[in-house]
Amino acid sequence: MRHSFIDRFANLDSPLHLLDARTKLVGFTALIVAVLLIQSGRDFVFFSYFFLIAILAGISQIPLGFIVRRTLTILPFIILATLAAPWRGVAGLGALFLRAILCLIILIILTNTTRFAELLRGLRRLGCPQILASNLGFLYRYLFVLTEEILRMRQARDCRRVGHAALKKELSTLGSMLGTLLVRSFERAERMYNAMLSRGYAGEFPVVDPHRFSWPDLAFLAGIALFVWVTFFGFPVLPA
Amino acid sequence: MDVRIGERVAIVGPSGAGKSTLLLHLNGVLMGTGLIRIMGQTLEQKNLQQIRKHVGLVFQDPNDQLFCPTVYEDIAFGPMNLGAPEKEIPFRVEKSLSDSGLDQSMRSRTSHHLSLGERKRVALASVLAMDPAILALDEPMSNLDPRNRRHLIELIASLPATLILATHEMELVLALCTRTAVMDRGKIWADGNTRDLLSNADLMHEHGLEVPLSLKKT
Repeated sequence: MRHSFIDRFANLDSPLHLLDARTKLVGFTALIVAVLLIQSGRDFVFFSYFFLIAILAGISQIPLGFIVRRTLTILPFIILATLAAPWRGVAGLGALFLRAILCLIILIILTNTTRFAELLRGLRRLGCPQILASNLGFLYRYLFVLTEEILRMRQARDCRRVGHAALKKELSTLGSMLGTLLVRSFERAERMYNAMLSRGYAGEFPVVDPHRFSWPDLAFLAGIALFVWVTFFGFPVLPA
Repeated sequence: MDVRIGERVAIVGPSGAGKSTLLLHLNGVLMGTGLIRIMGQTLEQKNLQQIRKHVGLVFQDPNDQLFCPTVYEDIAFGPMNLGAPEKEIPFRVEKSLSDSGLDQSMRSRTSHHLSLGERKRVALASVLAMDPAILALDEPMSNLDPRNRRHLIELIASLPATLILATHEMELVLALCTRTAVMDRGKIWADGNTRDLLSNADLMHEHGLEVPLSLKKT
């Protein structure tokens, strides 16, 4: 049974991978905000962000094909979202589309240069509430367990099914599968909680914490800040 | 029923006999009406944390037990909750990994990438890290292939802790425990020397169990 992983290339060791999770969270979030704030029609600014992101992607050593495939997977949603705002005119739509694509690539780079566990730790240290961080952690941990459960259920269904049944019958099967899955998840959650209690859980999730904020982090953040500043507030030689 | 320090006791019984439920009572995850004393302390709401330090419970399905993003965090979870000093944590993780026969490189892995055999051992490591005096294992061998099974049996046999083992695998009981209690429908029906009880065909059959092949008279 196979599943694709959110942070598939997070175990490489490019300069980007070595940065502290907090640095990347702050830096990439700043980039996303900046991209969202670019006015439509400022093609040069769009281009410079695209260029920066291309460089980051290059540094990250994530295979280009992977980034393209991931982007293509989500492309239909972006197109739909873009078309939902037809009053913006062609230029506006183009800008909307570009912004979405750029943000998406930034997120792909972020999640594939930082292991999910570190990302969570970073979030936690940046002040994200405990309950949210641990829930995200559980989601990541059990997504695969749940996926496997679904795959097994589907196999079991297919083994006992000959040909195609009527739509109504299919839907009712699907309904009971979903119901079963819900009940199983509930029961698993209960067993998990028991396991947590057994190891002394008393309401506070402990955080394992290797400190690692050094000058490359500072340099990275400074670089991003400078870039955003220049693209927004001008630079004598930059065309407006 | 009394279990002495260092003793290895098996709780055997058919599925649904109440073995897992009994284990969950040992550290107060479930609270019944009876009396449980652990290391001289009566189990109560107010000393739960202390009791949980003494009783390490290993669950049947390691997916229930390993809920953290990485193996390291899962093993560190117990000792950190029990207030072990932060400096000590890496050493505790290191020691319980090696005690469970696992490689140190395992610490940064995510548990869903591990094989079942590895996951079972990490689950054991996550409990050993708390340095429990009493180890309670629930069906530790289910679904393991023979090699992993053998490794795990050797591993458990080498641990100094008092062992309480809930299972319906009779050969396993024979290999690990000198004393056995037969449990069925929520009650203990017999308690004594493993070989004597397990070779008693009538007793085994009455409670949905079987005399292990190695004890059958030819």
